[in-house]
Amino acid sequence: MPGVILVSSEHPVLALELLGQARRLAETIDAKVGLCVAGAVDSSGLDSYAAHGADLVYASDDAVLDTCQWVDLISSAISASEAGLVLIGATKTGMEVAARVAERSDASYAAWAVKIEIDAGFAATSASCMLYAGTGLATYRFSRAVTVLSVAPGVFEVDDQPGRTARVEPVVLKEQSSPLSVIGERAKSNSGTRLQGARAIIDVGRGVKDHEDLDMVRTLASLLDGQVSCSRPVSSDRDWFADWLGLSGVKVKPDLCLTLGVSGAIQHVVGIRDSRVIASVNNDENAAIFTQADVGVVADLNEFVPVLIERLRSRGVTPAWL
Amino acid sequence: MKIVVLVKYSMDVAEIRVDPVSQALRMSGVPRRIGDVDKGAVEAAVRLKEAGDATVEVVCFGPPNALGAMKDLLAMGADVATVIEDPYDGAADAAAVTRVIEAAVNKLAPFDLLICGFASDDGYSYQIGPRLAERLGLPLVSYASEVNVDDGVLAADRDLEAGVQTVSVRLPAVVSVAEEAFVPRTVTLLQAMKAQKKPTNLWSLADVSMTREELDEVTTYSALKETGIVVNRQQNVLKDSDLAEMADQLIDWLINEQVLVGKDGA
Repeated sequence: MPGVILVSSEHPVLALELLGQARRLAETIDAKVGLCVAGAVDSSGLDSYAAHGADLVYASDDAVLDTCQWVDLISSAISASEAGLVLIGATKTGMEVAARVAERSDASYAAWAVKIEIDAGFAATSASCMLYAGTGLATYRFSRAVTVLSVAPGVFEVDDQPGRTARVEPVVLKEQSSPLSVIGERAKSNSGTRLQGARAIIDVGRGVKDHEDLDMVRTLASLLDGQVSCSRPVSSDRDWFADWLGLSGVKVKPDLCLTLGVSGAIQHVVGIRDSRVIASVNNDENAAIFTQADVGVVADLNEFVPVLIERLRSRGVTPAWL
Repeated sequence: MKIVVLVKYSMDVAEIRVDPVSQALRMSGVPRRIGDVDKGAVEAAVRLKEAGDATVEVVCFGPPNALGAMKDLLAMGADVATVIEDPYDGAADAAAVTRVIEAAVNKLAPFDLLICGFASDDGYSYQIGPRLAERLGLPLVSYASEVNVDDGVLAADRDLEAGVQTVSVRLPAVVSVAEEAFVPRTVTLLQAMKAQKKPTNLWSLADVSMTREELDEVTTYSALKETGIVVNRQQNVLKDSDLAEMADQLIDWLINEQVLVGKDGA
């Protein structure tokens, strides 16, 4: 029995990253890869999922699923496929879904997996997972027939090989929608930035206090061919950006990450620590970020950034990749 | 209305050091405390108590010395706090923790509302709220940033990635509070003194009719090893000089690292 690795995320890019990793793992044990998706799949969609690594696509009839329905879809797919490993994208919805699926399916579960090892029949699944908010890594050996792992964005790479084929397995959801009545929704401002793949990231922390300060930050970003992002409190308290960098947000791997007014809490550093070079500006010499940076500037960012912009311009300095 | 708040006596992860050579995590001396998100859960409960009529009971699966920290939560306005002694010292699989909490809240039943943080400060795995909702068959309002109860119906804002969703649900329900949503109040000396007289309980697993063996049984993994992540950054620091000079030094450094190139490739 070769078995199935299931993948699910309501976040389309993350779903492809998980598919890529599932494909690589599946090939080591001759297993199949199943993808759970919301709504009917047309033939071009199916071709795309196949190219990205899926053999089976478990599609619900409803195109929009709430958390409870995602749990239903994945749990049904686990039963139908006899899956041994389930990878779920670590978004807010995904983290809730993963814990519920694990509870419902009596599966082993660990969060924040970064490395996964399996063997035939899933008898010795193990994984390295971020521990203590990213301070360390724990390697776990799982004891249940099914192992559920949540995986953050940007951990694994997309695989895309056109020409592979997949088939749809329709899933009829058993459960009614969530008992919550949705009264209203208001969208957060969408910055439209493309953080994954950016060569430079300007990372705004709580030290950037006023919205108008973002003008100079954006000017600096354009000189460095960079995208602007932020730490979690800036995103949640100020609603300047929809995305944030960190354990619970996006993880980036740019050539340069320049932090402005970032304190350096581990939950945030996890999102930027794979950068090739980290430079940091903070007015507090004892800020934790300086232990995480290659070069730190102890200065008031409101005074330093305009000077840096002026020096970049007058010296005619440009990013190495342009 | 009876509100049960679930808190963890967490490690302060910012204080965990990593041995640069062996990569071992230095866990001794790392202080423990009730995390900010968990205090936010207490804050949310106390605000509901102030807005209506409620009793707030705190439950913590942790070491006996967490009882000291319970006094802070009682000072915030909770009415009674119970610590259930944790034989795993904070390292249990959330599957096992959920069973203990489930047994405890069933002992405290009937309740109207269970409130917890969306994740603990140290484990940060977002599991207890969803798992409890699943086991108890109750609706879960996750990532709540605002809660109100009116006539047995809870209305809440949920802080999600794409936006804020407003939902309502009939109680009983489980609520997990979002990061930074309910800033815990500072307590007065008088409140702290009054808290000393409020009741606390220390329960064993037997007090919630569970055994260590049962918990081992529902544990779904074993940890093979734990290592720290060693940061190998250069940690150069520019300070105490003219801003333009520091800007030039930073630019020179970035040129040297091949992040930037000067005019004419210099």
